[in-house]
Amino acid sequence: MNTLHFYALFNGLVLGMAIFLVSSGLTLAFGILKIFNFAHGAFFMIGAYTAYTITGQEASSLWVFLGAAAIAALVIGVVGIFTDLAIFRRLANVPHEYTLMAAFGIMLFCTGATRILFGQDVHAIYPPIAIGGFLDVGLPVPLSVYGMFIIASGIVVLLALEIGLSRSWYGKVILAVARDPWMANVSGLRVQRVKLVSVALSFALAGLAGGLLMANQSLTLDLGHSYLLLAFCAVIVGGLGSVRGAFIASLVFGFAESFNAVIFPTMPGIGSYALLILLVLIRPQGIYPELSQ
Amino acid sequence: MMKPLSQVALLVLLLAFAFAPFLVNPGLVFLAGFALIQIVFALSWNLLFSYAGLVSFGHAAFFGIGAYMSGAALKYGYDINFLLLIIACSIAGAIGAFLLAIVVLRRASGHQFAVLTLALSQLVVVVIGYSSFLGHDEGLSAIPRPVINLGLFALDLSKPLVNYYFVLVICLITVGLMWVLVNSHLGRAMRAVRIDPERAAFIGIDVWRIRVVTFTISGAFAGVAGALLAPWGQIVTPDYVNWLQSAQPIFATLLGGASFFWGPVVGTIGLSALNYLTRTYAGMSEILVGGSLILIVLIAPQGLLGLVRDLVRGRRGRAE
Repeated sequence: MNTLHFYALFNGLVLGMAIFLVSSGLTLAFGILKIFNFAHGAFFMIGAYTAYTITGQEASSLWVFLGAAAIAALVIGVVGIFTDLAIFRRLANVPHEYTLMAAFGIMLFCTGATRILFGQDVHAIYPPIAIGGFLDVGLPVPLSVYGMFIIASGIVVLLALEIGLSRSWYGKVILAVARDPWMANVSGLRVQRVKLVSVALSFALAGLAGGLLMANQSLTLDLGHSYLLLAFCAVIVGGLGSVRGAFIASLVFGFAESFNAVIFPTMPGIGSYALLILLVLIRPQGIYPELSQ
Repeated sequence: MMKPLSQVALLVLLLAFAFAPFLVNPGLVFLAGFALIQIVFALSWNLLFSYAGLVSFGHAAFFGIGAYMSGAALKYGYDINFLLLIIACSIAGAIGAFLLAIVVLRRASGHQFAVLTLALSQLVVVVIGYSSFLGHDEGLSAIPRPVINLGLFALDLSKPLVNYYFVLVICLITVGLMWVLVNSHLGRAMRAVRIDPERAAFIGIDVWRIRVVTFTISGAFAGVAGALLAPWGQIVTPDYVNWLQSAQPIFATLLGGASFFWGPVVGTIGLSALNYLTRTYAGMSEILVGGSLILIVLIAPQGLLGLVRDLVRGRRGRAE
């Protein structure tokens, strides 16, 4: 294994975790609402803009950076509550074609609003000094500290969601509502409120991802699109609604993208689409299929 | 019941398009031609949605195939009659759609179908980005307008008026063909498949085949719309292939009313007007289009034509 492949491995892992940060909220919202939230990327972008407003071009310390990401998560979570009350709640009995289009409408609306609020400029953002630079850990190549930070964030989010959903009481309530809202309602769970909490959580994850991933890339209005399509692919391949599946699929697509850059440098971006077609044809229901209904 | 009213409205619309070059300034005529092309595109999408029950989020792929094919042929000066070129583009769109349909429809449905079509259309964008023949991300610009030799006389599309009426006539023919299609035996079979695939299969309709055929036909019409775009706009960029272009017919259809054949027409005109009126405010058109889309889904899923129908019915009801 030469240096180039090692780079690809590390970058693939970082990219995979970044995709997972976006797709985790997407798959959570789908699991409970059965709405494929096209607007997720837009809220990711707004989260990044919110965090940028707080930190400026370079956060003064790691804590400011993390704090800004947390505030972005909070703000977007609150936006999620309003979105659920105003829109998603009313879409419960609408055919799924129409919910997809409404989500598309929300996405456009958010892009336009961001354009007016934050302008069309491109901002360059750097990670704070504590997680900037490179670290030599005895491997053939020095590793980007920010990359390791992203990997750690991805693992933390995965563990928090997995443990929170399958071990905590409220997580089990969420899973019950996701599986069968009617039965959950009959057994006395407050379905609407559980849905509201999950939507807020899903949006907060989008905001958090925006705050964490904004560094080392230019902040533009297209920021949502770059991760969103890969996150869509990951959610579909992982099985709609499954956090674990989204995690595995995100890593697969991260590696596909980074090895594509090494093996076919003249054809960027083709690997993940080819992989998507292959995986969906082999297993259309996803790695962990949806269990409800 | 509302037949006479809708016939009058249709006639007024047709006259407005027919006399547009004499009524409004050249800028608006350009937009009118553009709207005509988008109308064909939106109607081709609605064939899939309202008549076969398939939601494609990647329809721009076939539009793009047509646009790039005709754009490249004109730009690099291949000596081919433009009418034949349009037919060739529609065949290319049909082949692309057929290939996509046999791959995707075998396995996926619902959300998987929507996201797969989206991803596959992005694949077309990616491939265009590699090709220097197709101009990478900048696309093809300064596409010349052709002269069409029809034997008895020649149509010089570099004259604005001739060009506009050429686009108008081709669009009318295409819309007419789609109208005939949806009212034919095949059109009824398509609707049966949308309403209840299981029962359609029970009475002997091959559901899978009907869906593939609809997808193919829809791709062919999208290819025609794309072919017209190249000489009309004189520039073809990957923006015409990406997912926001795929969303245009969706917006148009919803805004106008998906259950009406003429819904996408009304919706496209509404969207063009909205974009024209907000052209000076950055971001405003997105807010308005996005906001109206949400409102339509929440309040009037039948679209503008559905609202009009309800109004007319309500008034009739009170009069009686």
